[in-house]
Amino acid sequence: MLGLIARRLAQLPLILTAVFLATLALAWAVPGNPLERGERRPPPEVEAAMRAQYRLDSFWAFAGSYADSASGLRALRLGRGEGPTRRPVFDFGPSLQYRDQRVNDILADFLPVSITLGAASLLIALALGIGAGVLGALRPGGVLDAATLVLSLVGVSVPNFVIGTGLLALFALGLGWPPVGEWGRARDLLLPAFTLSLPFAAYIARLVRVGMIEALRADFIRTARAAGLPEWRVVLVYALKNALLPVVSYLGPAAAGAMTGSFVVEVVFSVPGLGQHFVNAVQNKDLFLLMGVVLVYATMLVVFNLVVDVMARWVDPRTG
Amino acid sequence: MIKLLLPALLLVAIVLAGICLDAPAPRAEFTFVTRGEVSTLDPVQMSWLQDFRCAGLLYEGLTRLDTSTPDLRVAPGVASAWTVSPDGREYTFTLDAAAYWSNGEPVRAGDFVYAWRRVILPDAGGDYAKLLSCIRGVDAFVAWRAQAVRAFAADPARRGSAAAAESLWTETLEQFDRLVGLEAPDDRTLRVILTRPTPYFLDLTSFGALYPVFPSLVQAYESVDAQSGVQRTDPGWLKPGVLVGNGPFVLAAWRFMREMRFEPNPHYRDAGGVTLDSVACLSIRDGNAQVLAFRTGAVDWTTDVMPAYRGEVFAAKREFRTAHALDVERLTAAGAGEIDIDRALPRDPRAHAHAFPAFGTYFYNFNARPRLADGTPNPFAIPAVRRAFARTIDRRGVCEGILRAGETPAATLIPPRSIVGYASPTGLDPDPALAREELREAGYPEGRGFPMVEILVNAEGDHALIAQSIARDWERTLGVRTRVLRKETRAFREDVKSGRFMISRASWFGDYADPTTFLEINRTGDGNNDRGYSSPAFDALLDAAAQERDPESRMILLARAERLLIEDDAALAPIYQYVQQYLFDPHRLEGISTHPHSWQDVGRFRVRLNEATSEHRVP
Repeated sequence: MLGLIARRLAQLPLILTAVFLATLALAWAVPGNPLERGERRPPPEVEAAMRAQYRLDSFWAFAGSYADSASGLRALRLGRGEGPTRRPVFDFGPSLQYRDQRVNDILADFLPVSITLGAASLLIALALGIGAGVLGALRPGGVLDAATLVLSLVGVSVPNFVIGTGLLALFALGLGWPPVGEWGRARDLLLPAFTLSLPFAAYIARLVRVGMIEALRADFIRTARAAGLPEWRVVLVYALKNALLPVVSYLGPAAAGAMTGSFVVEVVFSVPGLGQHFVNAVQNKDLFLLMGVVLVYATMLVVFNLVVDVMARWVDPRTG
Repeated sequence: MIKLLLPALLLVAIVLAGICLDAPAPRAEFTFVTRGEVSTLDPVQMSWLQDFRCAGLLYEGLTRLDTSTPDLRVAPGVASAWTVSPDGREYTFTLDAAAYWSNGEPVRAGDFVYAWRRVILPDAGGDYAKLLSCIRGVDAFVAWRAQAVRAFAADPARRGSAAAAESLWTETLEQFDRLVGLEAPDDRTLRVILTRPTPYFLDLTSFGALYPVFPSLVQAYESVDAQSGVQRTDPGWLKPGVLVGNGPFVLAAWRFMREMRFEPNPHYRDAGGVTLDSVACLSIRDGNAQVLAFRTGAVDWTTDVMPAYRGEVFAAKREFRTAHALDVERLTAAGAGEIDIDRALPRDPRAHAHAFPAFGTYFYNFNARPRLADGTPNPFAIPAVRRAFARTIDRRGVCEGILRAGETPAATLIPPRSIVGYASPTGLDPDPALAREELREAGYPEGRGFPMVEILVNAEGDHALIAQSIARDWERTLGVRTRVLRKETRAFREDVKSGRFMISRASWFGDYADPTTFLEINRTGDGNNDRGYSSPAFDALLDAAAQERDPESRMILLARAERLLIEDDAALAPIYQYVQQYLFDPHRLEGISTHPHSWQDVGRFRVRLNEATSEHRVP
């Protein structure tokens, strides 16, 4: 187990370097001037000064300077400075689009929101998915099974923005909930988390349904029933436990997906999460912000998968 | 089973932590949403209207625009009085003794010298660095600085040396004092020497980019980059609790992309003019969500109506006005303004939508360079061809068929009646017969032999729809073949900047109340002259106007320049005048200006809380 963790963590710098260079090369190749913000252009002298300051004249100069400060090597070498201009250890630089923000501040403000939203949507997905999967598996081919199948198809295939916009209109106009501009209460979390959870719920429902059907046919279930255990105990404890193992493995990619892939939902519900910065930074060619978000996302993906692998082994020592 | 529950428990813990650590603030007395995110509160770096509107809460310039006057008159700001020398080249401002920073320090004349030096220096990255080139010596100083920085970066002996970079910076400050006509003889006197009379200078001094900043605060965040010799400013001074301003409000909180919260500045000079006790600028990106936020009462003012159904929103407003046509007629005859009319009519949610003229124009650039980017001859280099195309655009069709939110067809680049004393030329009237005639004279009878006409637009909003509508006009009337090229915004801008287009969509918003804010972008070689238009006659008219002392004659010269630009040369084809599209309840909110300049003094808005007292009748 420790060997697995050490191996994965040792791979992390290599993965991050590869992701960094590949993303930066793509972003660099995209046409557009990162210093332009509107219809108006900066005068040539201003542009020259900004390019010099941010090392935007050469790919390798920028990549080198960025990697130096983002990896913490610069802070290690030169110290973090004193007073108001003290720098963070891992310094992702300034945002070119939002001139008052450091990328570190943006990450610190927005990442927790995305993680909260992702976690809430996974909880909803687990509840909906496991419920639907169990109901479907009790009588395969029955009415309930067909209903959950249809619902999970809808969950997978109707895009987030359609469901989100519909819910928003329904709740804002029907119930008078202020749709946006506020964030932090459980109520603000509910609609976006529900919208985001649907595709994950649908997938979990299918995993659970297949696992349950298989488990309910297994010998140990027949034994349990023969021993006279009540049916709810047979289904909810013995069969479900086995059906849930694939769900645990799925939680890794699902967590990464829910926490990093919520862009559309964030825009529709004005959730102040990090997903929008991922897309906007590409559109604005905000290189500092884009690289910061990409590096954080890559790290999250590696770490989530590691956590889930460790957890899966711990839950079921037979795997791995 | 316990083990299986662990992941779920972990998720519950994360959600609870996320909710508990993140409580929203109570609703402010006045809340508004803007089109886009506020990108900066540093006056030097501002570029967007929403930046300027929020900055107007935090800072105050030497002068300010009085939104309570219909023509947006210049009023005293930090400067309580000023004198202008007889030749119009020297302004001496006397600062108000009651002007204080939010930390209690007096506002000094030197603070303006420091702030304006930041505007002039290329290092701070301002889009408005050229704004002060009317001050004596600014161009020479900027040229010297650019050359000095280049020489520094090219010199291996100095590059990388912190001491050498510091010494370059000290030298720069000395050069500034030596060259630039800006001085503070004492704490309450600011003297500005201009290269030429600048009739709109007092309007400029109200502009957001020229707001003062508190020098000793900003200086603490400045450093010189030893590699490039360029001065850097860390944005840390713009955080709530740190930022020091001299405006009616202070920045109480800024949760980026969520909410900016402003509270009254107890040290403000004119605190009596401020009645709001808290202001919030919310971030809502989705246009539909913005409208819903307004309708549920979470927001008092939406500065742009963006959803696709905005045409219906404004159609409902017209319906409402039609239903009260007699009252509207009577009130208009009595001289009531647009908002007064809404206030006098019965309450109705349909009356919450407002469209006022704006200080901006949507137009098409004709590429005027002799050859296109691919080397082929450019038919649009011929003025007659450009006139023929400009005469064939159904602008009314664009406004009423596509936009439907109160936009008006534009015949000129400068919005008519937006500048006092300026009489706009008439522009080119739509005239298909004359257009065909001009195209024939240019050598393309019935459009024969004319290359495929390409219209370049950015793939956002209604641009492609408008282009298709105009392309159809051209195909039907002129007999040419057309193609609409849609590109992602950044790629679009690169193409336009480097002249890789035949016709491209464009827009321009004025910054100060003078025709030059629109005309200067058409001067030969101007950084925003995307058209590549170069007319010695046009440039000479602008130069003559710059030298003209008599305001009336100057306006006549500028109107002649605009006529040359849009009628004789048709360097660009105006399509429609933008409108400010607001949502607000006129019975609740007071203080909104309908002036085309689009400036809103948010700090002096008033909100009527009591429904019963909010009935406001116009006699």
